[in-house]
Amino acid sequence: MEKLVLLIPFLPIVIATMIGFLNKKEHMPKVAIFFSSMVALLALYGTYYVMSTDQDIDGFGGYLIYNELSAILVPYVAILGLVIRKYSTKYMWDEPGYKRFFVLLNFIFSAIYLLVMSNNLIILTIAWQLMSISLYLLISFNVESKSAIKNGGWTMLVHKLADLFFIIAVILTYKTFGSFELSELSQKWLTLFQSGPVDDAMIYLIGFLFLFAAMMKSAIMPFHLWLPYTSEAPTPVSALMHAGVVNVGGILLNKMAFLLLLTPAVLNVAFVMGLITAVFASILMLAVSDIKRSLGYSTVGQMGYMIMEVGLGAFSLAIYHLMVHGIFKASLFLESGSLINQARKEPNVPRRLSHEIFWEEKPQYNSINMFRMIAFFAVFPVIVFTGVKFLLGEDLFHFNAATLIIAFAWLTGTQLFLSFFEVSKANSPKVILALISSFILVLFTYEFVGLALEHFLYGENGALFYEVATLHVSGTMTILMLIAIMLVGWYFTYRQHFVGVPLGEHKPNKSKWRIYKMLAKEGYISDWYVKYFKIF
Amino acid sequence: MLIDFILLFLFAGVPYYLVFENIPVMRKDKIFPLAALLVIAGMFISYQFPQETSMPFVMVAFFASLFSLHKANQTNNLCKLTYYILFFNAPLLIMFKTKESILYGVSLIVALMGVYLMGKYYARSYGSPNYQSVSGITLVTPYAGLILTVYFTALALYPPFPNALLFLNGILKSEISILWYLIVIVIFFGNFLIAVRVMAKTVFGKPNDNVHYIDISPTERVVHLLIIAVLLLLSVIGLQEVLS
Repeated sequence: MEKLVLLIPFLPIVIATMIGFLNKKEHMPKVAIFFSSMVALLALYGTYYVMSTDQDIDGFGGYLIYNELSAILVPYVAILGLVIRKYSTKYMWDEPGYKRFFVLLNFIFSAIYLLVMSNNLIILTIAWQLMSISLYLLISFNVESKSAIKNGGWTMLVHKLADLFFIIAVILTYKTFGSFELSELSQKWLTLFQSGPVDDAMIYLIGFLFLFAAMMKSAIMPFHLWLPYTSEAPTPVSALMHAGVVNVGGILLNKMAFLLLLTPAVLNVAFVMGLITAVFASILMLAVSDIKRSLGYSTVGQMGYMIMEVGLGAFSLAIYHLMVHGIFKASLFLESGSLINQARKEPNVPRRLSHEIFWEEKPQYNSINMFRMIAFFAVFPVIVFTGVKFLLGEDLFHFNAATLIIAFAWLTGTQLFLSFFEVSKANSPKVILALISSFILVLFTYEFVGLALEHFLYGENGALFYEVATLHVSGTMTILMLIAIMLVGWYFTYRQHFVGVPLGEHKPNKSKWRIYKMLAKEGYISDWYVKYFKIF
Repeated sequence: MLIDFILLFLFAGVPYYLVFENIPVMRKDKIFPLAALLVIAGMFISYQFPQETSMPFVMVAFFASLFSLHKANQTNNLCKLTYYILFFNAPLLIMFKTKESILYGVSLIVALMGVYLMGKYYARSYGSPNYQSVSGITLVTPYAGLILTVYFTALALYPPFPNALLFLNGILKSEISILWYLIVIVIFFGNFLIAVRVMAKTVFGKPNDNVHYIDISPTERVVHLLIIAVLLLLSVIGLQEVLS
């Protein structure tokens, strides 16, 4: 009975074939939604089986496996897929190519399921490339749009490069370790790690190839441009891209986690690249004037953060992060339609639930007090949190997980701060309370859900990753550095927004203007691409 | 040595570049069947006389391949494109071991046969196999759009089509060297760039108001369905090969 779960990757192809034979437009989403619900139920059953029996489900000659990672990700993808299909039913109704859209959507879901459930590098390679081509056809869905096709071409070029890196890595893995089977390879890598330090350049090369392949598909800088520039795709595709497709880098690195145990340098590079991406993309997100591109950069920043987590050995946290971010970003995209609809009816700001709760017109700013309260209450939970952990005597500070948590606190805190600045007129205890609650919730769930996931995914081996991923910087030192960065960041934010803002005409000085121009032009990277790579 | 020379002659389009390109001995749209026959003959010879290919011949084939890539990038004619793509892939046919080379060659010829027939359909419907101004066919001639998408996806080396699987099978089973990296990278990207360039101008784009679009006939659909069925059959073989 449980073996039925292994049919999940093939069911979307069956659905696509059925849709291909349907003539009535209204039947297409019904078929897609009904059978996708079956897929979601099957995935939930598989998860229940894995959790209750503590056993993996494998089959098709060991090529597919429903293990702990699949048990978390497959239901997530299935439910996300169900929501996207339901949303697309009406959203895509008037678009030419309704049938084509549902067929392609099912193909890409098939590729994602196959990628998550594969236990063989060849199957993984096939799924990895299938996802690229399905994505290309979906991004270019609006076939009449010149820019959509051009940006689709750029996306494909980056993905093709990722495919090449991946294929070469797979071939070198086979030549070095003599197997394609992932569970066997993971066991080999773990044994090799336990037998002492490894100093084989080939293993490092394989590690780097997998890392770069993952970085390209997860839009990590400097391979990020494809993501912010493909917002012209239909909204359900954008939701899928930001919540599902872009996560495959993190999924791949989790599948290769035991290989990366042998290559600390690869993890360190992942950390640095992730950090640069997280910071740079977050700044660009604030600077670009196009709202969709801004959302794209937000995702790039989050992906940077996810890769950074992998670089610190927090593989399971990366999975948690990508899921939470995926749900958040998908809801943002899918909500956009109803917001536009509301905006058409209402001349002012559309009154969403959050707006109804928090907005209060005040005649005057009283932001300094609010800032103090936010600063106090945002720093306070961090201190309490680290204090509790320290007193409990856990090994938090032995690992760089501390860096991770504090960095996340800083990033989230700053972003929350900037978001709520928009409603700074609503200087009420409700806003402060919401800010503090969300901050504490993020911090604590991140730590505790992350830990729970780690035990589920990697068991006792989870701690090994932190040991390997060490950057040889003491925990206290990193915490002090990050707190300093956090405070400096907040000081500048405070100065920028609340101190000495002239009421009249204000001209920024030249250097500031240049920096702003550089950021607003996205570091000139897109211009550079267009100028020197005239391929499409 | 002699076998290497013959294979180079047959796979890399030497007769075409020496004779047919400059002298109007035969019509351009007849060249693909001839080129495909020569490649099949080459595969037969390599099957009869299996041997290790010497690197200098692979290098010469690689340079010829770069020239074919340039030519493929210049043309907007679907029929011409078929034999340029065939010649472009010659280094792989020479470099791979016999079985892998034959399988890859067959899948390549089948996919190109489909494109060639589409070229014929273009010639019949629009007066020439030139696709330049016949854009956006996905919207106006959905069957033609779907079929062309399948062929160019296969040629761009994407699974589940056999070209990708047999390419992977071939490179997996051949010896790795500097030349191997060079050829694999160039052919992997070259096929992709050619296919995406054509797709951007045919399958995608705005339909041209000045063109009277005609979708492929039911008989042609059956022929293309058969070609796609053969491709899928080759995919199954390719999957078995690469997993074995």
